[in-house]
Amino acid sequence: MTAIDPLDMPVTEAGKGYWSGVGARLIRDPLTLICMSVIALLILSAIFAPWLGLGDPYKGSMIARLKPIGTPGHILGTDEQGRDMLARLIYGGRLTLFIGLTPVVLAFFIGGTLGIVAGYAGGWVNTLIMRTVDVFFAFPSVLLAIAISGALGAGIVNSLVSLTIVFIPPLTRVAEAVTSGVRALDYIDAARASGASALTVIRVHVIGNVLSPIFVYATSLTSVCMILAAGLSFLGIGVRPPEPEWGLMLNTLRSAIYVNPWLSALPGLMIFITSLCLNLLSDGVRSAMNVRD
Amino acid sequence: MFSYFLRRVILMLPVAFGVSVICFLLVQIAPGDPLTAIMPVDATADEQAAMRAIYGLDKPLPIQYAIWIGNLAHGDMGKSIATGRPVAGEVFGAVNNSLLLAFSAAVIAFPIGIFLGFLAGYFRDTWIDRVVTAISIAGVSVPNYWLGIVLVIIFSVNLGWLPSMGAGPGGSQDWSWDWLHMRHLVLPAVTLAVVPIGIVARTVRALAGDLLTQDFVLALYAKGMSRGDVLRHVARNAAATALSVMGLQLGYLLGGSILIETVFNWPGSGFLLSNAIFQRDLPLLQGTILVLALFFVAMNLIVDVAQAAIDPRIKRS
Amino acid sequence: MKHLTKGFAALVVAASLCATGAVAQGTLRIGMTASDIPLTTGQTDQGGEGMRFMGYTVYDSLIEWDLTSADKPSVLIPGLATEWAVDADDKTKWTFKLRDGVTFHDGSPFTAADVVWNLDKLLDDTSEQYDSRQSAQGKSRIPAVASYSAIDDHTLEIITKEPDATLPYQLAWILMSSKANWEANDKSWEKVAMSPSGTGPWKLDTFVPRERAELTPNEAYWDETRVPQLDKMVLIPLPEPNARAAALLSGQVDWIEAPAPDTIPAMTGNGFVISSNAYPHNWTWHLSRLEGSPWNDIRVRKAANLAIDRDGMSALLGGLMVPAKGFLPPSSQWFGKPTFDVRYDPEEAKKLLAEAGYSVDNPLKVKALISPSGSGQMLPLPMNEYIQQSLAEVGIEVEFMVVEWNQMINLWRAGAADPAVEGAESINFTYFIQDPFTGLIRHLSCDLIAPNGTNWGHYCDPEMQALFDKIKTTFDPEAQDAVMRETHEKFVNDALFLMVTHDVAPRALSPKVKGFVQAQNWYQNFSSITME
Repeated sequence: MTAIDPLDMPVTEAGKGYWSGVGARLIRDPLTLICMSVIALLILSAIFAPWLGLGDPYKGSMIARLKPIGTPGHILGTDEQGRDMLARLIYGGRLTLFIGLTPVVLAFFIGGTLGIVAGYAGGWVNTLIMRTVDVFFAFPSVLLAIAISGALGAGIVNSLVSLTIVFIPPLTRVAEAVTSGVRALDYIDAARASGASALTVIRVHVIGNVLSPIFVYATSLTSVCMILAAGLSFLGIGVRPPEPEWGLMLNTLRSAIYVNPWLSALPGLMIFITSLCLNLLSDGVRSAMNVRD
Repeated sequence: MFSYFLRRVILMLPVAFGVSVICFLLVQIAPGDPLTAIMPVDATADEQAAMRAIYGLDKPLPIQYAIWIGNLAHGDMGKSIATGRPVAGEVFGAVNNSLLLAFSAAVIAFPIGIFLGFLAGYFRDTWIDRVVTAISIAGVSVPNYWLGIVLVIIFSVNLGWLPSMGAGPGGSQDWSWDWLHMRHLVLPAVTLAVVPIGIVARTVRALAGDLLTQDFVLALYAKGMSRGDVLRHVARNAAATALSVMGLQLGYLLGGSILIETVFNWPGSGFLLSNAIFQRDLPLLQGTILVLALFFVAMNLIVDVAQAAIDPRIKRS
Repeated sequence: MKHLTKGFAALVVAASLCATGAVAQGTLRIGMTASDIPLTTGQTDQGGEGMRFMGYTVYDSLIEWDLTSADKPSVLIPGLATEWAVDADDKTKWTFKLRDGVTFHDGSPFTAADVVWNLDKLLDDTSEQYDSRQSAQGKSRIPAVASYSAIDDHTLEIITKEPDATLPYQLAWILMSSKANWEANDKSWEKVAMSPSGTGPWKLDTFVPRERAELTPNEAYWDETRVPQLDKMVLIPLPEPNARAAALLSGQVDWIEAPAPDTIPAMTGNGFVISSNAYPHNWTWHLSRLEGSPWNDIRVRKAANLAIDRDGMSALLGGLMVPAKGFLPPSSQWFGKPTFDVRYDPEEAKKLLAEAGYSVDNPLKVKALISPSGSGQMLPLPMNEYIQQSLAEVGIEVEFMVVEWNQMINLWRAGAADPAVEGAESINFTYFIQDPFTGLIRHLSCDLIAPNGTNWGHYCDPEMQALFDKIKTTFDPEAQDAVMRETHEKFVNDALFLMVTHDVAPRALSPKVKGFVQAQNWYQNFSSITME
C-alpha cells in the first residue's frame, strides 16, 4: 500500500560510522523527533497504563454513559457503557499498537529469513520460495487480511496470524532482491572462494548489508498494518469486545456519533495521529539512512 | 513484445493455480458449521445431514476441490448457501459495482495525485512541497472507514446534500450515468480516493524530483530546451513507474473498498464478502475472493506489459 | 481548474436539489435489518423479519395472526381456511374448510389440492416440487403433521401423529405458493424466486438480490379491508444500524427496523416517530439443570432474578424494553397470576443466597455463554455486562464465554451437556415465544432434551410434562389458554429462567407514514398504511 519501491533500497556498507551518521541526521530532523516522542509516549503510556491512576477501562456505569469531553472525573468523557474514555484510549493503545506492530516484527523476521535464504541460495530454493510468495502477492493486502480473518473468526491471535501472513510476502521480496544484489558483489565471491561456510558468509557479510534496507521497508509498513488491524476490529473480525482497541471502539461508538460526535471521533483520531507519526517517522528514518540524500 | 507477453502469461498460470488452492483452503480452515446460517435454529440433526449432502459438504476435501475446480472450468462457481442463487451471477454483479466505485475513485485520485506530486517535485524544498507532502502523508495515514462515517454525518445527515447509501435510487441494476445515480457515488468514491491521492502524490513527487535533478535534465536545459519541453521529457520518463504504481493502486482500490462498501452499503464485492463472512457462506466467500484475486493477477500482467511497452529496458529485468 | 470549480459548484447545487426532490406519492421504503431480501418463493428465511416482510405480505397461510390491534395480544384468525375442527372421536383427525373464490396472483384458483401440493413441497422429498430451501424453513414448524388429503376442492383433512391441539398454531407458519406459477416457470424454484405468486395482499414486482424488493398491491385480495392503500412498498436490506439511521435521516427510506438506541434522539429531534409495542419476545438466560449445576437450587435461581435492576437497564436501551415479570411478556394472554414477583430486591436476593451458602465474600461462580451479536439479541454485550455487575453485587460471580452468533446457535442446539459448551451453566439466548410450542413447550419438554430438541438445560419434570401434555390435548381454545396460563405460572414460580427483559420491536418512521398500527406480534399489517 505504500509507494516505496522495494528495489529502490540503498545498498550500503554498514559500519559504526554509518550508524552514528544516521543518528546524527535523525537528531537534526525536528519533525522526526516529534513523531518519535509521540510514538514513545504512546508506547510508554501503554506499558505503564496500570500505574497512571486511570479509571477501570472495563467497568462502567449505565447512568454515566456518553458523557461529553471535559466531564469532571472523565476528562475525555465516557463511552457507550459509561467507561472512562481516557482509560479506554490508553489501554486501547496497548492492544492497538500490539496488534498493529507485532505482525510487522514477526513478518520482518520470517520474511527477512525467507528472503535472505532465497536470495543467497538461488536455484530451486529461490524458485520455490519466491513463487509461493508470488501467489500471496496475487491478493491485495486488505483482501487477504479480511479473507483470512474472516475465515478464522474474530480474536487477537487470529488477527496476528492473518496480518503476519499479509506482510511476509512483501518483506520476503525486498530481502530477496537486496540479498541477490549483495551476493553478486565481488567481496562476497571472495569470501566464498576463501572457503567460508555459507552461514558465516550470510552472518558476516550479507546480514549487515541487507538488514538496514529491510528494516527501513518494514517501518514503512507499520502504519499500514495498524490501520488494517484496526479495520479488522472495526469490521467485527478483529479484537473481541469488551477489550479496548481503537478500531473496535470506533465501531461500538458509531451510533453515538448522533449524540456526541466528538467523543465518537476520538478513537479514529488516535488511529490517524499514530499512523501519521509512524509514517513520518518511517520517512525520517529512511532519509536518515539513505546515503544518496 | 509478443513473446514477452506470452512469457508473462505462462508465468501467471501457476500463480492462478496457487490462488485457487488458497481460496479453496481458506474456507476449510474456517471453524463452525456453514449450514447454521441457513437452517432454522431448531432444525433437527436429520434435516442438517440432508442439507449437508445437498451442498456436497459430506465429501472428502480433495474431491470437493476437484469438483469445485471442474465446475469453475464451466463458469459454475456453485450456489450460495445463504441464498441458493448461483455464486457466479452474484459475484460478477457485485464486482461490476466495485469496479464502478474503484474506477471512479481512480478518476478522482490519479489526476489530483499526479498534479500534487508534480507540483511538489517541481518546487522541491519550497513551502509548496511541504504542503503537498503534508497532504499526502495525511492521506495515507487516515483510516478511510472512519473518514467515510464522518462524511456521511456532514454531507448526508446534516447538510442533506448527498445520499448515504446504495448505488442509485432503484438499486444497482438500473445504473445509468445521470446525476440521480452518480450522486450516490460521490461520497464513497471520494472516501476511497483519499489513500491513493497520497500514494500517487508521493510517488510522482519522488520521480519528478529525482529526474529534474539528474544530469541529463540539466544537460537538456544546457542545450537550451524550454521549460515545457524539459517537463514533457521528464513526464515521459516517469510515466512507466507512475503507471505501475497506479495499476497496482487500482487493484488495491478494488480489494480495499471492502470497509468502505460496508460503511456506504454499496452493493459491491466487499459488501458481498462481508455478508459471506458473517453468514459463513463458503461458496460465496470462495467465489468472491477468487474473482478479486484473479482480477488483481490480470491487473499486474497488464501493468507489466504496459510498462514494458513504454520503457523497453524493463523487459530485461 | 476554472472548469473544475464551476463543475463542483454545479454538482453541489444539483445535489441539494435532488436530495429534497419528492418521491412518488404513496411509496413506502423500508430499511430492514436483514442482510438480504428474504426467500421469495413461499416459506421465507431471515427469521421473523422474513415472515413479516416477504411471508404474510405476498402469501397467506390457512390460519393467520390477527394484526389489527395494538392494544391486545394477537390471536389466531381464519386465513385461507374459514373454519377448522378436530374430529369428535378421533382426536388426530382435523378438517379444514377452505375459503371460496381466492386466486393466486397469477390468476389460478386456490383449492385444497394446492394445500396438499404445498405440504408435499415441504414434507415429501420424493415429490417433484420438493424444495430443500423452503423445507429447511418450514418442515420443523409442523412436527405434528402425519398425513393430509383433499376431500374436495374446499375441504382439507390433516391427520396428526398424536393428538395435538397446537396444530392451528403450527399451520400459521405454512405459506401457500402457486402451483400454476411454478409450472409456468419450468418447475424451477430458482425462476419462481424472481417472479413468485401467492394469494397475499401484496405482489412482488421487482427483486434485486441483496439490494431491494418492490411490492405492489394485490387489488383482487380476498379480504377487502386488507387491500393495500399504498402504491408501492420497497424493502431494502440495511444490516448495519448506522447505515440504517443515516438512510432514514437523509430521507432515503421512510421506515427503519430496530433503530440503535443512541440514534433515537437524533431521529425524534428531527420529527421522526418511534413506534414500539410489546410482542412475544424475551431476553433470558436459559439455565442448565444438569447434575452439579448451581441453578438446580431454587433459592439461587430466585436470588438471581431478584438481583437485577431492570429499570436501570432501561437507560441503556433508550427506554425501549419491557422489564420482565415472567417468561412471557406481562401483556400476554397466557401470563396468568404467578406468585413469585420478579422484581429488584437485592436484600432478599442476598438473604436467599446466604441460605444457599453464598455471599459477596464467598461468591457462587457461574459460567455463561454469550454472543456479541445475533438476531433478536438486542445489545447483548452491554446488557450482559450489566447483569454481571448486578449479580456480583449480591454474591454471584459470572464468567463469560463469548462466542460468535453462529457458533452460539450450534452450542444452543448441542445442549448444556455437550463438551463444546465447556461446562457453561447458562446461555443467553433470546426467544420467539408466540405460540404454545415456541413459547413454552420446546424449552422444557423431556422429549426435546438437546441435542434431539431445543431443551438446552436438560430440564425434565413430570409435573411440567403433564402440563405440556394437557396443552396438547385440550382442544377447546379457551380451556387451552387456561392450561397455558397455569404452565406459565409454574415457569415463573419455579424461576426456571433468568428472566430479564422483553424487546418492544422499535421502528423509526418518517412523519409522512400514516395509519400504521403496531400489533403485539412478530408480524405486522402494512395494508392500512398511507404516505402523506
